[in-house]
Amino acid sequence: MKIKVRYFGQIKEITGKSDEYLVEQFETVQSLKSFLKKRYPELNALNFKIAQDNKIDEDSSHLHGTLIDLLPPFSGG
Amino acid sequence: MENRYQRHIQLTEIGTEGQQKIQKSKVLVVGAGGLGCPALQYLTAAGVGTLGIMDADVVTASNLQRQILFNENDLGKNKAVVAQERLRQLNSEIIIKSYPFALTHENVADFINLFEIIIDGTDNFYTRYLINDQCILSQKVMIYGALFKFEGQVSVFNHKDGPSYRCLFPSPPKVGEIPNCSEVGVLGVVPGIIGTYQATEALKIILGFEDVLSGKLLCVNLLNHSNTLFNFEKRDTEIKKIKKLKRVIPIENKDCFVDFEVSLTQLSSNEKIMWIDVREKDEAPRITHLEIQEYPLSRSITSNSIVQGEAKIIAFCQTGLRSKAFVQKMKNKGIKNCFSLKEGASELNDWGRKI
Repeated sequence: MKIKVRYFGQIKEITGKSDEYLVEQFETVQSLKSFLKKRYPELNALNFKIAQDNKIDEDSSHLHGTLIDLLPPFSGG
Repeated sequence: MENRYQRHIQLTEIGTEGQQKIQKSKVLVVGAGGLGCPALQYLTAAGVGTLGIMDADVVTASNLQRQILFNENDLGKNKAVVAQERLRQLNSEIIIKSYPFALTHENVADFINLFEIIIDGTDNFYTRYLINDQCILSQKVMIYGALFKFEGQVSVFNHKDGPSYRCLFPSPPKVGEIPNCSEVGVLGVVPGIIGTYQATEALKIILGFEDVLSGKLLCVNLLNHSNTLFNFEKRDTEIKKIKKLKRVIPIENKDCFVDFEVSLTQLSSNEKIMWIDVREKDEAPRITHLEIQEYPLSRSITSNSIVQGEAKIIAFCQTGLRSKAFVQKMKNKGIKNCFSLKEGASELNDWGRKI
């Protein structure tokens, strides 16, 4: 199962792209997070949330979504 | 005269009754910047009965690209005060209050308790978490908005016991983790759109509409026209933590938080500080153990007479009143990193002897 991962805010600048497809399999949100942090080490310094199929989920949740979003908090006003 | 709210009243969803609700409502806008300006304009135009504007900062030239309540004549003036004057011209029938100082953990309860809905127009996490925590304690609704370059986020927190900002982002970012306001650019219209979304949600909540952004995070990207709506759940542990403590939990990251006052208790002995005495030369006590520069408030200073280096500039006087006026003067001259000491000269003298 292919998943689409989209990047928001400064995460897009870290990854250098607004989205990509992954073919790897992941058990949990956490395992996907670890995979992405290895691929993009700068993500380690950042606090962000992951949504699957438009629902923001806990790291311990089972990864079932096909659309994954990485959301950092924004600061600007 | 034609009723100024006619176009609202014509809507069956609003009507006379709905318009009366708006006119009885009380909204506090914290931060009269990119988000606050458009939100304030629409809320004033809509006839929100009592509108509070809080901002410690002054208008600078780089604000004018997006903070549309201000013009070139306002440079150096306090944003809350200027916004109040401008908005009064738009609607003289409502009460508009200006609070030209920062929201702090000490005053947050006093001000949030005066209003029903709080619009988060801040540019820093410190104030955002303060608002969030106090809204939980005081049972007020917080309308969140924030930006990054061409993107924005909007949400509604603590609405009818719904999720809070801490449910979305439980751990506050560390200093430097998220680029701060002065490091990142933003397309001027982005805060215009996000601030207008915030005003929209405020009016919907006042009118009792069902479908508000509670438990939902709206992410807007103006570059690719995508609007994405995310659902998120309430985290009872986060909310209980605040309720049990019965007070806000100030976060450590004070990046971009504008507060003119600093206390001796907040300073460490190895910090680089340029001390400025704004008292007259004959006032006692003189400070004996610290290097002091003297700029009595009564004398005018040219902007280049104080050279801004790495050191934090801290002005002091006998009580902390004149030093505040001095800091305001410095800000007007574009000098940043300048603070007013909360304590007076004798406390500073004792502090200087000890370090």
